[in-house]
Amino acid sequence: MRIVIIGNGVAGMEAALGVAARNPEWTITIVSEESDHFFSRTALMWVVCGQMSQRDIEPLERDIYDRMGFRRVRARAIGVDVNEHMVKIAGGHDPIPYDRLLIACGSRPRPGPWPGSDLDGVGSFVTMQDLEWLETEIHGGASRGGAVTRSDAHLALSTEDSPYQPRKSLRGERGGPPKHPVVVGGGLIGIEAVEVFAAAKLHPKFLIREEWFWPMAIDGQESAWITERMRGHGVDVRLEENLESIEGEGAVASLKTDVATHDCDLLVVAIGVMPNTDWLEGSDLARDRGGLLVDAQLRARTVDGEVIEDVFAAGDCASVEWFNCAVRPEQLWYTSRDQGRVAARGLCGDTARYARGHWYNSAKLMDIEYTTAGLVNMNVEDERNWFFEETGKVRSTTRIVLTGTGDDERVVGFNLLGRRWDHEVLLSFIEQHRSLQWVLDHLAEASFDTEFVPPLRVPREARSNIGGPAPSAMREPVQPPGV
Amino acid sequence: MDLQGQNGLMSTYREPWRTRNAVAYLVAFTLIGFYTLMYFRDPLHVEGTAFDPDGWAAAIGLRSRWLLYGMLYSIAMIGGAIYYLKRHGNSRYNRIRISVNVAVQVVLAFTLPLVMPLFFTSDPGEFWKYEYYFSYFWPLDWYKLHPGTLQNAPVVLAVYSIVGALVVAPMLAYFFGKRWYCSWVCGCGGLANTFGDPWRHLTSKSTKSWRFEKRAIHTVLAVAILSTFLLILDHLIGDQHQTFRKYVAGGEWYSMKSLYGYVVGAILAGVIGTGLYPLLGPRVWCRNFCPMAAVLGLFQKLGRFQIKVKADMCISCGNCSTYCEMGIDVRSYAQSNQSFTRSSCVGCGMCAHVCPRGVLKLENAPKLQSDKKRQRLPVVNL
Repeated sequence: MRIVIIGNGVAGMEAALGVAARNPEWTITIVSEESDHFFSRTALMWVVCGQMSQRDIEPLERDIYDRMGFRRVRARAIGVDVNEHMVKIAGGHDPIPYDRLLIACGSRPRPGPWPGSDLDGVGSFVTMQDLEWLETEIHGGASRGGAVTRSDAHLALSTEDSPYQPRKSLRGERGGPPKHPVVVGGGLIGIEAVEVFAAAKLHPKFLIREEWFWPMAIDGQESAWITERMRGHGVDVRLEENLESIEGEGAVASLKTDVATHDCDLLVVAIGVMPNTDWLEGSDLARDRGGLLVDAQLRARTVDGEVIEDVFAAGDCASVEWFNCAVRPEQLWYTSRDQGRVAARGLCGDTARYARGHWYNSAKLMDIEYTTAGLVNMNVEDERNWFFEETGKVRSTTRIVLTGTGDDERVVGFNLLGRRWDHEVLLSFIEQHRSLQWVLDHLAEASFDTEFVPPLRVPREARSNIGGPAPSAMREPVQPPGV
Repeated sequence: MDLQGQNGLMSTYREPWRTRNAVAYLVAFTLIGFYTLMYFRDPLHVEGTAFDPDGWAAAIGLRSRWLLYGMLYSIAMIGGAIYYLKRHGNSRYNRIRISVNVAVQVVLAFTLPLVMPLFFTSDPGEFWKYEYYFSYFWPLDWYKLHPGTLQNAPVVLAVYSIVGALVVAPMLAYFFGKRWYCSWVCGCGGLANTFGDPWRHLTSKSTKSWRFEKRAIHTVLAVAILSTFLLILDHLIGDQHQTFRKYVAGGEWYSMKSLYGYVVGAILAGVIGTGLYPLLGPRVWCRNFCPMAAVLGLFQKLGRFQIKVKADMCISCGNCSTYCEMGIDVRSYAQSNQSFTRSSCVGCGMCAHVCPRGVLKLENAPKLQSDKKRQRLPVVNL
């Protein structure tokens, strides 16, 4: 059996290891343009600042491909012929035949929609090539942990529109690191880029279109704390400022927003990622806003909607069904890993279903830890929010989302900053339809704080601190889960 | 003030002296040179020269080079602790742990051995009897359980040596993990976590190094136990068997007693163990050779200590593995939702500290069925 996997990320690698564990004699070919080795994209920021080395962000030892007998092709796939069972490769490389195919090619950075987005000095912070670019711009090159290995080995077998093309550094012309670095886009990639600039003492400007940072996940009072922390680290946070155009002759020189004009000699565009599936244009595979449409077994569909038995998609590039029946990509590390495992079973010929379950996530915003579970900022029917801000030795905020009244009152979501929590326990509270007062009595069970940290104490008078619904991007009210 | 989680980004690999550059080699050579003089003063015949450590000690009024060593050790630990707490002191676990460890060194491993003899005897020839290091136990302090040592020591101290090594230390390791010793009390661990902390990321995480560690540390443990047994035997029958005594407990360099002292005590613990900090990380001795760590590790494995992993939240970034000074690939456990106890883990808490998602937690808890259930693979079980 010939298995071909496009993508060397967590979904692709989990699938490859899963297939090899069951069928060591099958040939597994991994096609990847970006990198020779499987690495953790989530850790790029630590490589730039020097906290981790290039090798440190690779979860597996480098000889894994040889040990498992995986064949690697460092090239760009430019199409799939689902009838002939062929993957077409750029640069005149022979097409690769497959018996079963997994597409796990991930995301690409969303390009800036503004005039001037193609100027030199404008880039993103998503790929290995972005990492190399920012390392050069900020620090003049890789740390002593080592440079990206063979970062350009794919270029002969790539195309112009690839997201993995190297980007030109302006450090030489500028004669040093950027004096006016700007990050546009108030989300997770944005704040990571900002933190990297701030750590290098470059005092970045952070342009955020919305009223506060990351409104999709946190509310105004939570965000105020994070903004305060960013400003404390020398970041110039600009809220409610819309970028209109990027100005400059050849290279970026300034930014025009609806409020002011800012000097800028380096711009990181961090307005999200989108499925990296442009290369499938013309292949008979159905996509919705880029995400490959799949069934519950992660099998791809033809444009006519028919399930293809031997083509699977997993990870960021697949549109899967969410808890609220919406169909869109899930751009998370651990769901990609789980999808890779389900795809592995599919590739082995089993019937395995992917089930997402509740929403939960975590992040670290500057040095503030964030955990969320359940329905938060989701415009739940009859939503109310209980909020408590802890000050003192530990600073934290606790927000609990409720729905229903009287005996029907129950908790449906948690948004927590500054402390560590076990989302599994929080989700069990939600599944058990617990009331707010019950949850407050039992909150300590979900604590995951490190040892010696004093536990969260909610004073009696704060227990009834219930406010209205939180602002949400969801227009239609969301039904609370009927578990 | 935040009490947990790493505060700000680190620039580890952008600081040349922390990444095996010329300065790091220079520091390593200096340390190796210092330890060589300390341990091999007599065979090197440096007595009376400028390189005589006993001469240095006498110059500042200390009785022996070992007290000078204790003083330098304490200074290195205090300096290192300041550096460490500046970077990681926002975590309460780190603050308490490092403070206790430094206090133990200064009080139990320097001040008490310095002043205690003065209270109990006025005969300088008897001083050594009361230069007792309360923070070291057999088999790390291999001499503590020798019949000769026990016989000459005051009864209270002999009882302390026996009960401490054979009962209290393993019992505490069962309930709290070996961290109670290796990263709260022990001087070797204390130096590694303070003075040696800037190099903690250099410990190898390769499978090869793990394989070496398992073989080496258990070999040293076996040798330590066997040799102690032989010394007891020598105490019982040595008078009648002079050849046996000569090769086991004799004063010549080739006797077992001397060889153990030179190879394990001097070369592995001192010259290599500390000298290679800037090149191979600060726990070379603790990880690969320390017989005490091996014993406590076995009890830790059976006992309650574990690193608890929050299921399905790890993003595989690898900060935990990078900063594990014992070379444990923590990430591989976190990725597979597996709460775990590794016998080598000294419980320094750094993995939990640097984890950006709060996935890891050190705890002492009876291992429940529910924890085992957590170790299932999510979604599918291949």
